[in-house]
Amino acid sequence: MEQRLANTWRMTNNEKKFIESVLASDLRVDGRRPFDYRDLTIKFGREQGLSEVQLGQTRVMSYVTSQLVQPYRDRPNEGTLSIFTEFSPMADPSFEAGRPGEFAVELGRVIDRGLRESSAMDMESLCVVVGKSVWSIRVDLHIVDNGGNLIDAANIAALVALLTFRRPDCTLGGDDGQELIMHDAEVREPLPLIIHHLPIAVTFAVFGEGNIMVIDPTHKEEMVMGGKMTFTMNSNGDICAVQKAGGVGVMSSIIMQCLQIASAKAADITSKIKHAVEIYNTERASQKANHYLLEVANQVSLSDVIMKEKQVENLIEHLAYMPLDELENSNQGDALAVDTRTKHESISQGRYTRAFVRGPANWDPYSRGISSRLATSFPTLPGFWCVLLGPKTFLLETEETTLLHAENSLG
Amino acid sequence: MGAMTVDRADGRSVNQLRPLACSRNILHRAHGSARWSQGDTIVLAAVYGPKAGTKKGENPEKASIEVIWKPKTGQIGKLEKEYEMILKRTLQSICLMTIHPNTTTSIIVQVFGDDGALLPCAINASCAALVDAGIPLKHLAVAICCGLTEGGSAILDPTKAEEQKIQAFAYLVFPNSPLSILPSAPSAEVDGPIENGIITSVTHGVMPVVDYFNCLERGRAACAKISEFHRRSFESQVPGDLTKAT
Repeated sequence: MEQRLANTWRMTNNEKKFIESVLASDLRVDGRRPFDYRDLTIKFGREQGLSEVQLGQTRVMSYVTSQLVQPYRDRPNEGTLSIFTEFSPMADPSFEAGRPGEFAVELGRVIDRGLRESSAMDMESLCVVVGKSVWSIRVDLHIVDNGGNLIDAANIAALVALLTFRRPDCTLGGDDGQELIMHDAEVREPLPLIIHHLPIAVTFAVFGEGNIMVIDPTHKEEMVMGGKMTFTMNSNGDICAVQKAGGVGVMSSIIMQCLQIASAKAADITSKIKHAVEIYNTERASQKANHYLLEVANQVSLSDVIMKEKQVENLIEHLAYMPLDELENSNQGDALAVDTRTKHESISQGRYTRAFVRGPANWDPYSRGISSRLATSFPTLPGFWCVLLGPKTFLLETEETTLLHAENSLG
Repeated sequence: MGAMTVDRADGRSVNQLRPLACSRNILHRAHGSARWSQGDTIVLAAVYGPKAGTKKGENPEKASIEVIWKPKTGQIGKLEKEYEMILKRTLQSICLMTIHPNTTTSIIVQVFGDDGALLPCAINASCAALVDAGIPLKHLAVAICCGLTEGGSAILDPTKAEEQKIQAFAYLVFPNSPLSILPSAPSAEVDGPIENGIITSVTHGVMPVVDYFNCLERGRAACAKISEFHRRSFESQVPGDLTKAT
C-alpha cells in the first residue's frame, strides 16, 4: 500500500554520514567497539520449547512443536525439521503482515541451512516406524522487535527452543503390536531432541569499500551498510554455513580475519546458551521433584505494578502481580501491592523454595545463580530483582549486577 | 443466587482471578507496547499509529483501526480473523475517531501463551498498549471471561481446561469506571449510563437468561478491580522515554 511506504521511517542524511564517518575511527553509535556483541538475554516460557531471546533491542520469540507425519519417500527413516519465520508487523513499521518478504525467507533459509546441513539435529532418532510415521519438528520464529541483526538473534532463539523442547514418548503397542501409543507427560517423561552441536550465526556488516567490518549491526547501521556477511559456526571450529548475498565486495584476507573472530564469538555464545539451558533444566527438574510454591515479588521498572503470585512454576520476565480476589477473601495469605518506585520487598508466605543453582559450589545468593528466565526486559530502566529463597528471606539485586546483564555482555 | 462452592482445579474460588501482570513500553520500535498476562495466558500487544491514509472501504472522515492477530503457531485461520474483528470493533468504540481523520492506527497482537480467556487478555493488553502509545481514548475497555458451570454458578477467568468442561462462557468487555476529580462526587453517578454499559459480549454455549445477567454482574464487579489495577499501573509510570524514535 502506498500509504505504508509513505510512513516508512527514513534515515536522515546526517545520521547516515555520522555512522559512516565515525566507523573510520572505530567508533559505533551505541558506544560498542567494532567486534562487540550487544547484551544477550535468554528467557524461557512456561511450556517447554518456548524461548525468547533479546539481543540488545532485538527481540525474537521461538516456539517449537512436534507432530507425527509420514516421512519423505526418499528418507523413510528420518524425521523432518521445518522453520517458519514471521516478521511480525510489530517489529518494524515496514514489515507487512501476510506473506513473508525476501528478508524473512533469507533468514529462515540461513537458520535452516545451519541446522540441517551441518547435521546438528539427529533426524534418525525422530523416526518411530520406518516409512510410516516420523516426528516432524516445526520451529516458529516470531520477530517481535527489530533492533538489527535478526539472523543471529533468531538463530539463538531457535537453538534454545530446540534444546528445551521435549517431545512425547511413544511406543508401539496395542493388540497387534502395530498401534502407536503416545504417552502423556505424566505417564512417561517426554524426551529431548538429540542435538549434536550448536551452529551459531555471527553476522558482520560491511562498510566503506569493503574494508570496515563490524559485528552485530543495529538497525541504523543496517540501513547504512554496504553489505552483510553471516558465518554460522560451531564451537568445534566447523563452519556450518556462510551467507553473503551481494553487497560490497570483501577481500579474502578480511574474510579469513572475520572467520577467526566469528569462531571466538560462536564459542562464547555457545557457552552462554548452554549455561542458560542448564540452569533452566535444573530448575525444572527440581520443580518436578518437589512440589512447592514459588512466590516471587518482583519490582521492576516503572511501568509495573506488584502483586502477589501464587503457584506459578515458571515465570516469564515482567512480573507484576496483584491479587484480584477482593470479591471473596483470599486464602493465599497477605496481599501486597507495592508502589513500584519504592524499594521492593515482599511477602513470603510461601514454603521453602529451592535456589535455582546447580550445586553448592556455585551457590551464592548475591550473584550468579539465578535463573535467566526471571530476567526482566527493561534494559533502560533501573529495576530490582527479588527472589525468594526461603521463608522470609529474599535477595535483591539491581540490574547492574544481575547475572543476566553482567555475564551476557560480551566484551 | 446460588453460592455453591465449586472446586476449581487450581484451587481458586469462583470469584477469584488469576494473577495479573502488566508491563508496558517493552518494544523499542513500536510506538506503544504492553504485555498482559493472566496466569499462563500471555499476550503482547504493540501499537503503531496514526499513519496517513485509510484502507479501501474505510471511512476517510474518521480514523480507522487495523488489528493484526498473530497466533503462537500455525497459519492464520477463521478464529484469528474473528478475534481481529471483535478487537477492532471494541477498540473503535473506545478510541476518539474524529480527532485524526484519514489515519490508520495499527494494533498487532502476538499470543505468547494461551490458557483460557485469550480474547479478554488481548483486549486488556491492547488497551494498555494504546495508553502507552498515547492514543486518545474515551475510556478504557476492561475485559473478563465469565463461565457458567453445570450447577449454575458463575466462575470468573476460567483456564483452558475449565473452558472446555463448562457448559457456557462469555467474554465481557466493560468500560472502566471514571474517577471523578471532584472529591464529593454524588453517588448517583454510580448508576449512570457508563456504569451500566457493556461494550462487547461474546458468548459460547447455551446459558439461561438469568444466569447471563448473573455473569454480567459478576463480570462488572471484577472489571472494576481490573480497572483499578490498570489505573495503578499507569499512574506509576514516570514519563521517561518520551522521545521514541520511529
